[in-house]
Amino acid sequence: MATMIDAPPPTVAPPKSKSAGGGLGRYILIRFLLIFPTIFILVTLVFFLMRITGDPITAAQGGRLPQEQIDALIHQAGYDRNLFIQYIEYLGNIATGNFGRTISDGRPVIEMLTTFGAATLELSINALLVALLVGIPLGMFAAHKRDKVPDAFLRLFAILCYATPVFFAGLLLKLVFSVGLGWFPVAGRASTTTELAMGRLGAPTGIYWLDALRSNDLAAFGDIVHHAVLPAVALGLLTAGVFLRLVRTNVIGTLGKDYVEAGRSRGVSEFRLVTKHAYKPALIPIITVMGLQIALMLGGAVLTETTFEWKGLGYQLAQYLTARDFVAVQGIVMLLAVIVAVTNFVVDIAAALIDPRVRY
Amino acid sequence: MTKSNKALHGAIALAGISALALTACTGPSGGGGGSTASGNAGSTIAYGTTDKVTALDPAGSYDNGSFMVMNQIYSFLMNSKPGGAEPAPDLAESGSFTAPTEFTVKMKSDLKWANGHVLDSKDVKFSFDRQTKIADPNGPASLLGNIKSIATPDANTVVFTLSKANDQTFAQILQSPAAPIVDDEVFPADKLLSDEEIVKAKAFYGQYVIDSYNKNTLISLTAWPDYKGVLGKPANAGATIKYYTDQTNMKLEVKGGQIDVANRSLSATDIDDLKKDSNVTVNVGPGGEMRYIVFNFDTMPFGAKTPEADPKKALAVRQAAANLVDRQAISDQVYKGTYLPMWSNVPSGFLGANESFKEAYGDGSGKPSLDKAKKVMSDAGISGPVNIKLQYNPDHYGKSSGDEYAMVKDQLEKSGLFTVDLQSTEWVTYNAASKKDSYPVFQLGWFPDFSDADNYLTPMFPKGGFFNNHYSNTDVEALIAKQLVTADKSEREKTIKDIQDQLAKDISTLPLLQGAQVAVSGKSVKGVDSTLDASFKFRLGQVSK
Repeated sequence: MATMIDAPPPTVAPPKSKSAGGGLGRYILIRFLLIFPTIFILVTLVFFLMRITGDPITAAQGGRLPQEQIDALIHQAGYDRNLFIQYIEYLGNIATGNFGRTISDGRPVIEMLTTFGAATLELSINALLVALLVGIPLGMFAAHKRDKVPDAFLRLFAILCYATPVFFAGLLLKLVFSVGLGWFPVAGRASTTTELAMGRLGAPTGIYWLDALRSNDLAAFGDIVHHAVLPAVALGLLTAGVFLRLVRTNVIGTLGKDYVEAGRSRGVSEFRLVTKHAYKPALIPIITVMGLQIALMLGGAVLTETTFEWKGLGYQLAQYLTARDFVAVQGIVMLLAVIVAVTNFVVDIAAALIDPRVRY
Repeated sequence: MTKSNKALHGAIALAGISALALTACTGPSGGGGGSTASGNAGSTIAYGTTDKVTALDPAGSYDNGSFMVMNQIYSFLMNSKPGGAEPAPDLAESGSFTAPTEFTVKMKSDLKWANGHVLDSKDVKFSFDRQTKIADPNGPASLLGNIKSIATPDANTVVFTLSKANDQTFAQILQSPAAPIVDDEVFPADKLLSDEEIVKAKAFYGQYVIDSYNKNTLISLTAWPDYKGVLGKPANAGATIKYYTDQTNMKLEVKGGQIDVANRSLSATDIDDLKKDSNVTVNVGPGGEMRYIVFNFDTMPFGAKTPEADPKKALAVRQAAANLVDRQAISDQVYKGTYLPMWSNVPSGFLGANESFKEAYGDGSGKPSLDKAKKVMSDAGISGPVNIKLQYNPDHYGKSSGDEYAMVKDQLEKSGLFTVDLQSTEWVTYNAASKKDSYPVFQLGWFPDFSDADNYLTPMFPKGGFFNNHYSNTDVEALIAKQLVTADKSEREKTIKDIQDQLAKDISTLPLLQGAQVAVSGKSVKGVDSTLDASFKFRLGQVSK
């Protein structure tokens, strides 16, 4: 109460522009600084959890060599040293940009991350495209048909989309459209011919459709898109369900606003109201949700990539986890943590710029 | 903002529509590895597998996936001809013992690597020396323990001096994963070389060279015309190796003709399903993989370190189990014939292999015998059911292990002589725990390092061997040591049989199943069966369409 009494009178409020700029700057700085502890905690957790669950030498050679030889190899590799010393050494290496080589297949971690990261990025872009193309129009349509049969059906569809495990959706799509109807390939990012053609490119980005377009190879582009449809739909529907619900709710909310009512009273058609006036404000929350969906999408990518033989980070993570490859898993998790943290940072900033109420 | 939003949405919609339109317009392209022709040596073979390459550097890997590729691009001093595992000169012209501890190899002359470098005895010495020096944790250096030193008196002669005299497995070692010969002008002597650098340097001497390499995704091989080894000219112009994570995807692609051969590993149910498909052929060959039930002599019921320790009762428990297991039923019902009943510790197809357990236990013809099981238990004074803690592992030995051991439990419990506490553990923990006496009775498997009966005996049964189950029999150890250095084939064969008979009496382990090699190929594909031999090396050069 004393604070309230001592508070300056409202008439002496600081200049508006200075207050707004300082608040945003502080907000951005805090959000930026939060990236580091987030990554640090995750990397630390992975470091210790991986070592608790076993070592790569036992995973690779166990059952083949006598225990004494395995112990000797573990000693030689230094995995029996004090964990804390290994941890400090690891942090030191990261700080100097030395991510090392994977243990199980001897690849430079950076090279592994760029190679497979590109594949995961491609899948994520494809899936996001599906999510946007399916979620937004259907959400608008559901709002337009509020509480009617199409709306009920679409709400159910949305629930099914995000409640269905991505591997199950993948298997189902594969069974129907690949095995049953034969419309799409069973697995892979491209046919063997296209894969070989992509391998021969000089400086590929690793995103196949982009590389195919850059090299003006339309046949390869078509083949790549043909392979991309089912994985993108399986992963994209997961997010499309969320977008659909969100757009529907927000469009319904904005449809009741005064400016929309005013438009309606002036005789603007319902279709035009939905597609022109109501949907734009309704899209703002999607930006925020998109940041959260990146994490969900990366999680889903692990399962999608395995189901469709999509050789990306998720697929590799599963392989390296089985092999107890500390170095590789740490590298992948760190990259994923950076992606999620940076995406959320960007989304937070975007949201703060759009809606000042979210600032500190 | 409105305009840019419009543009963005427009672009997204256009991209989506274009993508879908293109999708609708294009069908699958380039299946079958881009083959150029069919039914001749100019064709390209598409091979699929779920195995993985660890490293193309022979010092850095010791696994099926890596060795399969090495067999196409490297040569050995000795190698086996398709159809068997008997060592024959490959880079060598001849190879034999010139003294009890001296194995001398004469090499072919005028050999050159695919990159034009000279291939001679220096490369051979370099290859073995660097294996031992690097001794990578993922590598096979442990196989070279008997090599004391290597000399190269001239460019075409290599003399191996061995620690143990007359080692009858040495020629096999020369065609094992430890023995691919590498280019001394490309590979470093003390560290591994990356796959990319090997491919870039064209450091190959084999039936094929790699012309495109995307690790564990796709490898493209082209036949190399200057190869002069035992395998001869390939029956095709080249091959692609496609790597799968999911065996079901591989099955669907071999069914659909996107790949010509699917090998290692399809599940038993998938193979059973493919047998009914008229578009494919299921090729079956002998396999070297073995599956055992191992008894820990210290901790099994009545074991040496249990409160009720009694060697006679412990033996009776093992004998009763041996009388009760029905291998044929497991083979038929769980593995659909992809694993076959195994009646001894040396698999059929190897020198001296017999069926000691078949004769000694059950009804004598391979079927279980409840009466004999009851008799051995009552003769030993065991009344009431004996509780067995039985461990198995599903992630290393395959998901079907769960069904296999459920069946073993059922077979043992149905007799009324046992109650079985069945448990499974994840591999890394399982492997460590099984070596530390944590499991009284447990599942274990073995895949040979090289194709010789000795590889099923020496690593296992001498005290402190692979099983680490505290079994010890000095007679068996002496016989194992004897067969290893017996040059006379028939005498060695008899010794190996004697070892198996003694092992069947002691039942250190209960051999259950022997794996078969199964490769599925398209109907027009030829030659797959000829490479599914006891060498366990898949040679793409045998396959054509």
